[in-house]
Amino acid sequence: MSSTFPPAGERSSLIDDYISGREVEIAQARSDERDRPRVMRDLYRVFRDREMTLAEVTWHQHRLHEWRRWSAVDMIDAIDLARLSKSDRVYLWNAGRAELTTKPGADRLSRLSDQECRLWQEKDPALAAVMQACGTWSRYWNEEEAYHETSFNRLAAVAGMPQVDDETFIEFRKIFPDDDMLRTLTLLAISEIVAATSYAGCAKGASHPALKALFQQVSADEIQHMQYFASFARALIDSGHYHAKDALAVAFLFVRDGGELYGSRRENVEDRGTHVNWWDTLDDGGDVDRPQTIEKQRAMIFTLVRQLTDIEVTSVDELEEAWMDRVGC
Amino acid sequence: MTAVELHAYVRETFASYAGLSQNEIIERDLTLAQIVARSEKMNNSLDLMEAFARTANALRKTHGVRVRLPTFPLDTPISTVLQALAEQLPQEASKAS
Repeated sequence: MSSTFPPAGERSSLIDDYISGREVEIAQARSDERDRPRVMRDLYRVFRDREMTLAEVTWHQHRLHEWRRWSAVDMIDAIDLARLSKSDRVYLWNAGRAELTTKPGADRLSRLSDQECRLWQEKDPALAAVMQACGTWSRYWNEEEAYHETSFNRLAAVAGMPQVDDETFIEFRKIFPDDDMLRTLTLLAISEIVAATSYAGCAKGASHPALKALFQQVSADEIQHMQYFASFARALIDSGHYHAKDALAVAFLFVRDGGELYGSRRENVEDRGTHVNWWDTLDDGGDVDRPQTIEKQRAMIFTLVRQLTDIEVTSVDELEEAWMDRVGC
Repeated sequence: MTAVELHAYVRETFASYAGLSQNEIIERDLTLAQIVARSEKMNNSLDLMEAFARTANALRKTHGVRVRLPTFPLDTPISTVLQALAEQLPQEASKAS
């Protein structure tokens, strides 16, 4: 028996095969890298049919994250503070405070995802992998929201708005209580819809092109986050272990008359005590027009419902009906 | 069934879905937040919403009466919510008969 493996005579052909195989692989990877990475869909099937491993999905997540990177410092430096209007300053102040609540959300998602992964590992390894992919991605979500929070709070401060005091900072870092994973992901997706449309509205009214660019960049980030949450939520429903009714319930909670979509505009805003819902905290100072986004948000939520559940609804009444049909008694 | 009997059905059914006795909920006129806090079946607003939805579905399935679910803040006493549902019943009860 040869003392080496493979035997010396065979080694060069094996190495040649390996090198040529790796060259093909590297060329393919480089070709892929020129393509714009996208949020992966159909995750449950991908893991169930062993099309990709968690490591491969994680690399895909990283490529998209890196492809989208931008510099908060550069974008802030490009803004002429002297040209900012009162509306700009109020929007920045509100946005900075609202974004403070995202870190606890991402921390919670990371913990919940790992917990759920362990729960499903024996019963449904594909679902466990989906949960782990979600928890792994949450580190990118956390980082990207850090860009939003620090950019807006910094800009608001240098533009002369009241700084976020330590007490408020800590209050807004309270962690949302745990809930069912599908409800959690659906709520997060809807939260991103609200944020993205609000920032698009802020961009439209921005008085400086560099500020407009910042709001547009953040809005695009939030849409990407929404796509990820939708993808994970859909995978949960595809597994058969999570039920469409819970996604419908969250959507209805937002769009119904007096629902969460109306945020701080409502006559009665809940004092939750345990956590802060950022949409309840917006303060327009009484004389600044808020971007009008309710209709757009509602339409996007109906689209999200279809993406998650294949259920088509075009009104609040239809959504309520679809939800109640599935709740049963 | 009369509107009074239907109202009693709604109270009993909701209490059952909330996992609390009628006495506990009605006699103390607990708020919606207090009901969620005391219930072992409910943890948050979504669970509460679902309990009301199940109640409405049961009413529809058993008695053919349809009610819309009102929206109330969590500090609303249960009596106010039940009254809002009861106000929909006589009309529906007469339709059902």
